[in-house]
Amino acid sequence: MAELNIVEKVIALEGVDLLNGLTPDQLARIASIASEVRVAPGKVVLDPAKPLDALFVVLDGGVSLAKDGAEIHVARQNEVLGAWALFDNEPMPVTATATEESRLLRISRDDFYELLSFRTMSRLLQPCSVPW
Amino acid sequence: MIKRPMRQLRLFWRSVFDVRTGEGLRALFMGLHMTCVLFAYYILKPVSRALFLNKFDIDQLPYLYILIAVVGGMLAYAYTRVAVRSSLMTAVNWATAIAVACLLAIWWLLSFNFDWMLYVFNIWVSLFSIIMVSQGWLVAANVFDSREAKRLYGLIGLSAVAGAAFGGEFTARLARAVEPRDLLLATAGMVLLSYGFVRAVAAQKNVKVASARAAGEVEDFAFADIVNGIRRHRHLQVIMAIITITFVVDVMVEFQFSALAKATYHSKADLTAFLGSFYGVYLNLTTFVMQLFLTALIVRYLGVGGTLQIMPVMIGIASGVMIFVPKLATASAMRLFEAATRYSFNRTGMELLYLPLPADLKNRTKAFVDIFMDRFGRGLGAMVLLGYLALIEKDPKHPNLTRVSVLILAISVFWILLSARVGREYLATIRRRLESRRLDFDDSRIAVAGAETVALLEKTLSEGSPRQAAYALRLLADVPGYDVGPHVETLARHAATECRTRAYEVAAGARYKGLMDLAARALETESAVPEQQAAVAYLVSVSPEAPIDAAWVRRAAGDSAAWRRGLAAYAIGLQGQDGDGTLRQLLDDRDPLVASAACLSAGRVGNRIYFEQIAQRLRDHAVRGPAIQALAMYGARVSGSLGDILTDENAPVAVRRQIPRVLRLIHDQRSVDVLIASAGCADLSIRAAVVKALNRLRESAPGLQFPAHAIAERIQIQAAWCLRLHAQLLPLRPGVQPRSAAALLVRTLETRLRQSMEGLFRLLGLRYSPIEIYNTWLALESGQADRVSAAHDYLDGILERDIKRAVMPLLESRDRVASHARESFRALAGSPETAIAEMLRSADSWVVTCAIATAAEMKLKSLAADIATASRHAGQETVAVAHQAAAALA
Repeated sequence: MAELNIVEKVIALEGVDLLNGLTPDQLARIASIASEVRVAPGKVVLDPAKPLDALFVVLDGGVSLAKDGAEIHVARQNEVLGAWALFDNEPMPVTATATEESRLLRISRDDFYELLSFRTMSRLLQPCSVPW
Repeated sequence: MIKRPMRQLRLFWRSVFDVRTGEGLRALFMGLHMTCVLFAYYILKPVSRALFLNKFDIDQLPYLYILIAVVGGMLAYAYTRVAVRSSLMTAVNWATAIAVACLLAIWWLLSFNFDWMLYVFNIWVSLFSIIMVSQGWLVAANVFDSREAKRLYGLIGLSAVAGAAFGGEFTARLARAVEPRDLLLATAGMVLLSYGFVRAVAAQKNVKVASARAAGEVEDFAFADIVNGIRRHRHLQVIMAIITITFVVDVMVEFQFSALAKATYHSKADLTAFLGSFYGVYLNLTTFVMQLFLTALIVRYLGVGGTLQIMPVMIGIASGVMIFVPKLATASAMRLFEAATRYSFNRTGMELLYLPLPADLKNRTKAFVDIFMDRFGRGLGAMVLLGYLALIEKDPKHPNLTRVSVLILAISVFWILLSARVGREYLATIRRRLESRRLDFDDSRIAVAGAETVALLEKTLSEGSPRQAAYALRLLADVPGYDVGPHVETLARHAATECRTRAYEVAAGARYKGLMDLAARALETESAVPEQQAAVAYLVSVSPEAPIDAAWVRRAAGDSAAWRRGLAAYAIGLQGQDGDGTLRQLLDDRDPLVASAACLSAGRVGNRIYFEQIAQRLRDHAVRGPAIQALAMYGARVSGSLGDILTDENAPVAVRRQIPRVLRLIHDQRSVDVLIASAGCADLSIRAAVVKALNRLRESAPGLQFPAHAIAERIQIQAAWCLRLHAQLLPLRPGVQPRSAAALLVRTLETRLRQSMEGLFRLLGLRYSPIEIYNTWLALESGQADRVSAAHDYLDGILERDIKRAVMPLLESRDRVASHARESFRALAGSPETAIAEMLRSADSWVVTCAIATAAEMKLKSLAADIATASRHAGQETVAVAHQAAAALA
């Protein structure tokens, strides 16, 4: 399968609740820092022993979230893993493991902050209107 | 004690006669206008009151007070509401015409000796004083800018006092020679003369009286808010109580004075002459001297509580004397003390009392007090008098004034106690505001601080938290004549950087040299940037030659530590010169903090050789803000160069997009001209930035001219563009699948449409009232049927025909807009293919990218060549999409 182009990445990001309400241009900016990652079944995506440095959006496949060895949820298409990465680099108390061949979009925390530092993107969290 | 009044006199002399080139005629005509208005008023006041007192028994006077409070108040309020909607010149024209007509009518009607006419006359005189005098000051506010006003208002005020004195003296001298009512003809003449001076001042160059509003916006307040405010703030309760008592006593003292004047002078002429001299000459001059020489001194030494006690104490003493010597001389002295202290000490004390209130509550409360409280107080005073006359006096027509004095004395004692309470409340409120650092002297209209405030600030400085201490030092530095030396010495050694920073700032402002060693040591090791910058600024300010000399700057600029290079850049800006090109080197520094400091310093130095380097730093988001500020510091002389960059298609978009943000800070006609010339730029983001900058300029510099024709043309183009976007959307919407490229394209176009509509309304905001257009936009966005309908009606009423024809169809229902779009752009709206083909030629890179993906998704093979052309000069993301599209369409 070919690497996603920017339009496909934006279409994928449009389905993410966390980014709901952003304009296509704003999503395109996020898409420009998002990279596609393919993970094999059994691959650990988030490790509670490691600092959190990115969030992931599941494009297809599935990722199991387990706490203390017990599975609590399987993330599917459009679901986000590690959203807390945008606020803190503390490890998540859960382990995320791919249950099948999966494709994810990875958005690095540093890149996201870099993007936010541009004035236009600082309005990211209030996308409804441009104040006069 | 003698030195201070002399200094005040010198300051006053300098401020009054500091008339500069180009201001002479305006100051002369404005001064003469105020002289005439006050001259007229001080004929009317004694004549109206003397005729009333001569005609009626004294027990009728309280009814007149009530009528003036109620009817006069309502009419004055109604005038303000009408005036905010009309131009100042229109209001002056009408007010003059009506005043002259009324004067002639009153003069004629007075000859019939109707009793009711004297009530009407007195109420009308109270309106005359409110409207004509406030209108005169409003004209002055529009004739002089704020700097001129500070210098020239003293002269205008002096002219007003002179007018009052001349008017009073004129009345006193002529009252016995002619019938008092005939003096109204002289008043009409003075009103016409004052009008002539307004016309003369309006005809002067750069005076825009015609376009100004006839009244300042009345601060909106709701009774419920005020009542809530009063309930929550004990401070406000005391203020209201003091205001009420002040006006109750004012009415009682005036009643007593009028009764004795009536009893002493039996003829109309004598009474008019006496009142003319008393009000026009003695009262005005006494108030003037008190305000000029004594008020600041009294407030400084007695504090707010003490200042507010002077008036009741004086009245108490005078009423005590009145009990034993109930003569006109005593009553006159009492009235003089009462009115003069009310206009001087009490007014200043009350201004200070408002100081610690939150700004919004303060403004609303002041509006409430100005409109209602003084009239309520006077009305209440009149009711008290009526009650007293009805219940206590056996012969209300000849009241025992000794008893009235006892009543005034009793109220004065209560008032004195209340004033003492005010002092305590004021301190408590100031303390709370200091703790939350929400006290600001800059906001105050008066330049004095009470003794207790100073003591409290000193206490906060020594015992408060570092933030409070730093804050208190700034406020103390604002107190006129205060020696901040000992405090800056203490705070410069404080453990908190905030205090040390403030100490250097204040010491620099006061040119205090005692911190030089400390400041020099602060530059040896790295610490907080603000503190080190404050230390450099301090050293440059008190000792320009050393230690911050050229050698120091060179050494610091070559240092490996960024903080030292940053200080070097900062110092160059303070020194205002860069002899050896160090600043050019620092402008290219890789560290954003150093580059930012260099940009700001380059802006301060203002040499054109830095212009290009600063403009290039607009690309760097970490330096962008200071670069914008720096370019704006050059002012209008770089407007042309900024315009060249803005319109240069080869310049980076990231730089071009920031140019409007620079221009909006330069309040000059050239900024408007450059922005208008670029409003048709192909890049949507630059276009939007240009219109926003124009909006901001119109808001912050209302005196600039926005060319109506060019804006109307842009509005039509923008409206056509919006309709075109509707047409592009038409063939794409049907059957669009979710999570497809076509759906994304539709969403993108809808976003563009919304942004373009907002742009259209921003343009309308340049042509019509920005606030009303903004509210209309919000109403349309709300989607609520009643608000949308009101917005349509409003636009339908104000838009010019051509603009209306372009804009209104865009606001109709979705089906009707679609129908308009289809009719206007038949070919474009015909098929997805034609719509997408046009989008592929767009200057909007994101629209092009989405259009390419949509063409591939829809298998529009006929567009393969257009896609190839569109991707030729596109960015790499678009090229990647185009490659995949080409493969899909092959």
